[in-house]
Amino acid sequence: MATDEAAVRDGGTADQGEPPAFDTSVAHQARVYDYLLGGKDNYAADRAAAESWLQVNPDTVFTARANRAFLGRAVRFLAAEAGIRQFLDIGTGIPTAGNTHHVAQSVAPAARVVYVDYDPVVLAHARALLTSRGAGKTNYIHADLRDTATILGKAQELLDFTQPVAITLIAILHAIPDSDNPHAIVARLLDSVPSGSYLAVSHMGSDLIPPQTLQEMRAIGSRMSQQQYSHRTGEEVTRFFDGTDLVEPGLVRVEEWRPEPGSSDTRKSFIWSAVGRKR
Amino acid sequence: MGADLPIGQQSIPELGDPPADATVLRMLLGAQLRRLREGVGVSPEKAGYEIRASRSKISRMETGRVGFKARDIEDLLTLYGVADGQQRTEILALARKSNLPDWWARYSDILPDWFETYLGLESAAISIRSFEVQFVPGLFQIEDYARAVTRLGHRTASADEIERRVGLRMRRQSLLTRAAPPHVWAVMDEAVLRRPLGNAAVLRAQLRRLTEAAQLPDVTLQVVPFARGGHAGASGAFSILRFEEQDLPDVVYIEQLTSALYLDQRSDVEHYLEVADQLSGEALTPDETTAFIEQVAREI
Repeated sequence: MATDEAAVRDGGTADQGEPPAFDTSVAHQARVYDYLLGGKDNYAADRAAAESWLQVNPDTVFTARANRAFLGRAVRFLAAEAGIRQFLDIGTGIPTAGNTHHVAQSVAPAARVVYVDYDPVVLAHARALLTSRGAGKTNYIHADLRDTATILGKAQELLDFTQPVAITLIAILHAIPDSDNPHAIVARLLDSVPSGSYLAVSHMGSDLIPPQTLQEMRAIGSRMSQQQYSHRTGEEVTRFFDGTDLVEPGLVRVEEWRPEPGSSDTRKSFIWSAVGRKR
Repeated sequence: MGADLPIGQQSIPELGDPPADATVLRMLLGAQLRRLREGVGVSPEKAGYEIRASRSKISRMETGRVGFKARDIEDLLTLYGVADGQQRTEILALARKSNLPDWWARYSDILPDWFETYLGLESAAISIRSFEVQFVPGLFQIEDYARAVTRLGHRTASADEIERRVGLRMRRQSLLTRAAPPHVWAVMDEAVLRRPLGNAAVLRAQLRRLTEAAQLPDVTLQVVPFARGGHAGASGAFSILRFEEQDLPDVVYIEQLTSALYLDQRSDVEHYLEVADQLSGEALTPDETTAFIEQVAREI
């Protein structure tokens, strides 16, 4: 399903670990997402791509916002109920309200968060804005998810890998084509953290989008975006959690994962989500 | 947060909260007028003609740069087919509120119009990103440093006038300590830290003030050291002001000798946004910046 030849253009395995250059002439996932969330840190190419996606799939704005809200609820769960104090947030995106360390440190002020992203625009904002001044600490690593050696090496400067760590991969794995073996990447990350650690993933679902729409969305992606998207089935997403036990309610759409009481929105997103605890 | 600032730079309570609202109200009302006008397909020229004014007056109204006269609004609403009594009443009430004087009105004798506009935008902004090549950003200047900067620009001004100008600058800084301060994110060329305005003692005190300001939760300071070579900010100093309302575009402010440029066309703004993003990526991180400023202060 994810045999996007264009992935090579995006770095692929060829120059793994080399973050893309500063280029605002092509849409980038982080900036498109910023636009869909109502932010102003995006460029003309990002808005053009977002608007094209919106035309073929009007649920895109709801989906982006539901995904962001899932991040908040998942981190709150991890800090408050699972007692996690260390977070490795890969695919940070452009900082906005309710970033991982804001949520985690509102529950546990001493929580430590290491952010990872490879977009140079995210770099500028994250280094300046994702800082904490209280008991907790944050760090930012400019690296590609495929470069797990760099990520794990630098993350250990702030995180203690003998203690449980929550790894959050929110709406990022679908930017990794099958040819780069995303399941092996996640396995390497999970291998480096102890039992009792957690994995939180959200991922665009190929089985949550009508086939015709999916085809059109992909066509826009390959024409207008730096990232090519590999939508995956619920079953493929579940395989990222090998070696973990999914916490309730298991694999569901992002808006269905432990929703706030009283949320009555009946719209449906097209992103799968789950949180698992490493055995 | 006020406790983090040295005495004398805390907000001046008797002047009350900065009425940031007037400028934002003007901008919001302007945006609403533009939508109404575009909704009925009326050109700015035609709208201007209707109120005995020019196309550019309409443009200034729609970007919130000028106050509104009730009669102009009445005529425009009629032209735009807004017949609903309640909607008309609401818009007119908004126009009245947006015309209340701002706190800096008392300085209007020493303020050129273009700088009054800036003060309005600055106090309404939720984020202010700036790049400075020569001076410490005004919001962080100590009095002695501000006095030296002011004298440079007003060589023939009386001592009284200089003090009023310095006073205005200090008054502006109260936005850093108000209830919901904007995020102030300034990138400075290393030259800013080394150019001795006033004298070495003033500069050292100024650098100390910068390292204190860097600790404020809503302040982000970064320095681009000489050692990094050329950088993206070749264009010179600028500020990008952002407003909370989704409707309101970012505004780029570039000060010139006798006037200022305000850019709010997305294509123009994006250029500066890109330079700002590149500069922030090239500059030292905020933590490195504090250490760097302390190092420079020791070398002076």
